Amino acid sequence: MRLTDASVAIRPRSPWEALDLGVLLARQHAGLLMASWALVSLPIFALLCLLLWDYPGWAVFAFWWLKPAYERLPLHILARALFGDTPSLKQALKALPGLLRPQLLASLTWRRFALTRSFDLPVMQLEGLSGQARSQRLVVLGQRDAGAATWLTVVGMHLEMALWLGLVSLFYLLLPAQIELDWSWQSLANAAAGEWLWLEHLSNLLYVLVLIVWEPVYVACGFTLYLNRRTALEAWDIELVFRRLRQRLGGVAYGLLLGCCLLLLQAPTPVMAAEVGNHPLPVTDPIGPEAARLLKQPLSSQAAQDSIEQLLDRPPFEHRETVTRWRFGEDEAAHAGEEPISGLQEWLQKLFKLAELWTGNASLALLFEALLWAALLGLVAVLVWRYRQWLDAFVGRIGLAQRIATPPSRQLFGLEVAPESLPADVAGTVEQLWAEQPRAALGLFYRALLSRLLHDYRLPLHGAHTESEVLRLIQDLDQSELSSFSQTLTLHWENLAYGHRLPPEDLCQTLCHDWRRLLEQGVRT
Amino acid sequence: MPHSATSPPPRAPRRPVRRPTALLDTRYQVETPEGIDLLLRPAGLVSRALAFSIDLLIRGLLLLVTYVVLGLLGKFGMGLATILLFLVTWWYMVLFEVLNQGRSPGKQMLGLRVVHDDGTPVGWAASLTRNLLRFVDILPFGYTLGILSCLNHPAFKRLGDIAAGTLVVYRDTLPAQPSLPQAEPLVAPFALDLAEQRALLGFAERGASLSAERRAELAAILAEPLQVPHEQAEQRINGIARGLLGPT
Repeated sequence: MRLTDASVAIRPRSPWEALDLGVLLARQHAGLLMASWALVSLPIFALLCLLLWDYPGWAVFAFWWLKPAYERLPLHILARALFGDTPSLKQALKALPGLLRPQLLASLTWRRFALTRSFDLPVMQLEGLSGQARSQRLVVLGQRDAGAATWLTVVGMHLEMALWLGLVSLFYLLLPAQIELDWSWQSLANAAAGEWLWLEHLSNLLYVLVLIVWEPVYVACGFTLYLNRRTALEAWDIELVFRRLRQRLGGVAYGLLLGCCLLLLQAPTPVMAAEVGNHPLPVTDPIGPEAARLLKQPLSSQAAQDSIEQLLDRPPFEHRETVTRWRFGEDEAAHAGEEPISGLQEWLQKLFKLAELWTGNASLALLFEALLWAALLGLVAVLVWRYRQWLDAFVGRIGLAQRIATPPSRQLFGLEVAPESLPADVAGTVEQLWAEQPRAALGLFYRALLSRLLHDYRLPLHGAHTESEVLRLIQDLDQSELSSFSQTLTLHWENLAYGHRLPPEDLCQTLCHDWRRLLEQGVRT
Repeated sequence: MPHSATSPPPRAPRRPVRRPTALLDTRYQVETPEGIDLLLRPAGLVSRALAFSIDLLIRGLLLLVTYVVLGLLGKFGMGLATILLFLVTWWYMVLFEVLNQGRSPGKQMLGLRVVHDDGTPVGWAASLTRNLLRFVDILPFGYTLGILSCLNHPAFKRLGDIAAGTLVVYRDTLPAQPSLPQAEPLVAPFALDLAEQRALLGFAERGASLSAERRAELAAILAEPLQVPHEQAEQRINGIARGLLGPT
């Protein structure tokens, strides 16, 4: 055994990782392991079936009981493959009789139910220990990793069962629908031995097939667990590095020694000095750096180039990937059958039935339903709240332009236009004020007009409108009298406010009359 | 001889060189953009199966208790229990994995966690995918496809893991404070690379778990390069390890 030849990375691992390494090891040699296991176990199973044809249960039991005997072959293969000496299938099978000889009886009787079977096997088979020495060794090895070995066996038993059931159900699923088999369990259970024997043997065969997949993994896991324990106990990883270190340092020392010798040998001689002139000067190669060089050496430039190319062709220098995609075939058979529809009907019927069940317990069901709906609405609300900005940004634009109902402004052009700020009888107040304070009177009139326009006619007035714009808006109302009244009022208000020209005396009567007619009654009634 | 340049010269018979193939290892390397290799340790079938069994047991007990308690409430209780069954079946793993650093209770007990392929914590999408696809792994019965896929994948992924791009790894635990044997700190008489330094330190740290004969045997390997008699090699290596460790 040379550790430097080991094909696995040797370092102390946790027991679980050691088991995983076993899976990888079994995977690496899967073909050989599975083929050899199948070649050994299938004939034995066939023989047992023939001998115990009437008792399928006993046949598979005997086969199961003999498992430790077959497990020796995978271990033999793995132990040799670990150090790079993988045997061929033929060699492995030839080695089997020799492997079976030691302690077979013990393996098949009192050690059959050992829960750490695959962990113990290397001690017997690879170390060749028996009796007292073996049990002492097992005690030492089992100090730490025995738990994982036990779990491996326990999990393995269940995996075998799971895989077997999987295969059985796969077999069942793959039965063509045309075969009208009477699969009622009653008849299966009642079937006396005879017509169903072949079926039992078939299911036993499935178990044997499952073992072809699982047993090599089981043996490999036990083996790597054993290796891991020994790595920890004997510091194999440290030995490996120490040996490499010694080799490296030894190599350096020898190199130095050789160099010194060469230096000493090259004592300058007159003959060599005379020859110097005759040496051809190094000329530049006309063919360039591509030319073949170093032709007299085992490693020529061409070979080096090739190996460099090869290296550059592999990752991480080169990254290739194969992309496989599904796509539709050329002619699509139209399979618009009626089955989905009938299936849908059935489903709907079931749904209705379910609904009927629900109505049976009306009050609780109602409460429950309410809870569910509440939950759904709550969920929607949460979603809307969560994405409110998104909705603002994208959904708001799609919808109708929203009319923003802003409250009418309380001031226009510096005039108070809220209805509360006006006197109750506007025209009366104006008549009183007209003689002494015409400015205040006209101002009140205009203010009242604006206020009425804002609140009664709901004109969208705001502070940026000029007087003439207000007039234009009034014209849009299509009320000629109101329009002419406003025009007169605005004209005189502008004259007074900006031009300081007093309105004519008789205007008061017309305006007040018009006001009472148009704005006090026309709108209010 | 001008022709020798065109015709390849007969090659000297070469010894079959052992190509340094990658050793089989359970580690999984993720290279970050900064060129740092993260080492993940994917977890294999046995530990994952055990973790799953624990989770299954917990879920079973949970459902049993709730069914018994809610069964007292009649049909209404059964309705609630049905909803709970849905939650436990589909969300137990997802919630634990996303909210508890990739660890369901079973995985926590076995020291496992779920991560993305690049070692980042698992997210909602990946966790949902890998757990919804359990129903593919279960086919045709009892996780047959999942088991086969797990056994056959180099990083032990079941189909759900492959689809979601996730990985079940062993959590890194804090290493215990190592205790080195007493020795005079020394400087190594030759340059050591990282692996060699680690091996020397490992020798000193793990000395207690090795037998005295084995320690002497290992140390004797380095006696010649260290230029000391075999008996003193162990002490010398311990000294170098102390020197590598520096003042503590």
